[in-house]
Amino acid sequence: MARDFITPKGDEGIYQIDTASWRTYKPVMDKDICVECGICLTYCPVNSIHKENEKYIIDLSYCKGCGICANECPKKAIDMVTEGDK
Amino acid sequence: MNYIELLDKKPDLVTPGTSACQGCPAELSLRATLKVLGENTIMCIPPGCMAGAGCVGWNFDSGLKVPVHITLLDNTAAVLTGINEAHGRDVTVAAFAGDGATSDCGFQSLSATAERGENVIYICYDNEGYMNTGFQRSGSTTKGSMTSTTPVGEVGKGKEQQKKDLPLIMAMHNPAYLATLSPSHMSDFVKKMEKAKSIKDGFVYLHIFSPCPTGWGFDGAKSIEVARKAVETNIFPLYEVDHGEYKLTVPNKNPKPVSELFGMMKKFRHVSEQGIQDVQNYVDKKYKTLQALVGQE
Ligand code: SF4
Ligand code: SF4
Repeated sequence: MARDFITPKGDEGIYQIDTASWRTYKPVMDKDICVECGICLTYCPVNSIHKENEKYIIDLSYCKGCGICANECPKKAIDMVTEGDK
Repeated sequence: MNYIELLDKKPDLVTPGTSACQGCPAELSLRATLKVLGENTIMCIPPGCMAGAGCVGWNFDSGLKVPVHITLLDNTAAVLTGINEAHGRDVTVAAFAGDGATSDCGFQSLSATAERGENVIYICYDNEGYMNTGFQRSGSTTKGSMTSTTPVGEVGKGKEQQKKDLPLIMAMHNPAYLATLSPSHMSDFVKKMEKAKSIKDGFVYLHIFSPCPTGWGFDGAKSIEVARKAVETNIFPLYEVDHGEYKLTVPNKNPKPVSELFGMMKKFRHVSEQGIQDVQNYVDKKYKTLQALVGQE
């Protein structure tokens, strides 16, 4: 990243922990119920939800399984299912 | 770009894996803040949840993708001043500090920085206590709250004093811009953050309500619901003060009773009806003051 000011040491490495391993439940979105409003995206604290090809998708790489997305979805299109289950 | 597109497309300048608790809305607020403030920003984060969660990094790694300083609890606003003097105004200099660091420990330097009208942005995320050191009460804790320093038992009945109204105290410093923000109202949040970034003629103070699932005792999935309830009950009214002009950005004609918020979490479980009424009266009075300032009594 080019910057006008100072370059943080973090350019050498960004501190991160494997928060995906915290999950007991994982969010599963039902694409048939989802109306693509984007509300879940605005509330995910981990920035795990994005729009790709006009559809919202949940990236589980860092998702902590907090359940905010499922709780806030006005259509109840997201289910929290036990990690390891289908 | 509407606020949803902005939150989707702007680069996330926080490490993807912070150790903030599951469902922590302060993590959401920090990510949203930096999506708006952008790459040309220097951050100051004093000890607190966000520093402890790794956003200031460890050893040789950083936790943010912009320069970040871990300041002391009591000098954050003074450090902002120094950085701003060194770099001039084309860089955004901002603090992201907890309510303990803001309303208690760091208040002297914050008040002085506001009074001098320094061209910096001070953001407080208010989780009503020193949460990362084990949930001690702060000046910003709501009356009745059970914390580790205001325990509940035969003698103790939770915090005895009302919440210090920091946003209004800061408004009385005549900042160029001041606003209260809640992660439950993201469109309002992003608008205020954009305005804060655009201010070039003085001090900016932003106060973000940040319910703490771990310390307050509620399910992390409900963080946004709790934040929304605080707005709906006027416990945390959303307003702004733009160069002295007060405005309620989310007017609340029919506030819900504060008991609805009290019922959502463990820290208020012991509070008596009288205790709830005390907070209700305080909240009503505060809202009247705010309406008078807005000019709509
Ligand atoms: S909140 Fe629900 S309906 Fe809206 S985009 Fe997300 S999953 Fe779809
Ligand atoms: S469960 Fe929590 S972290 Fe995971 S996608 Fe939903 S809101 Fe984001």
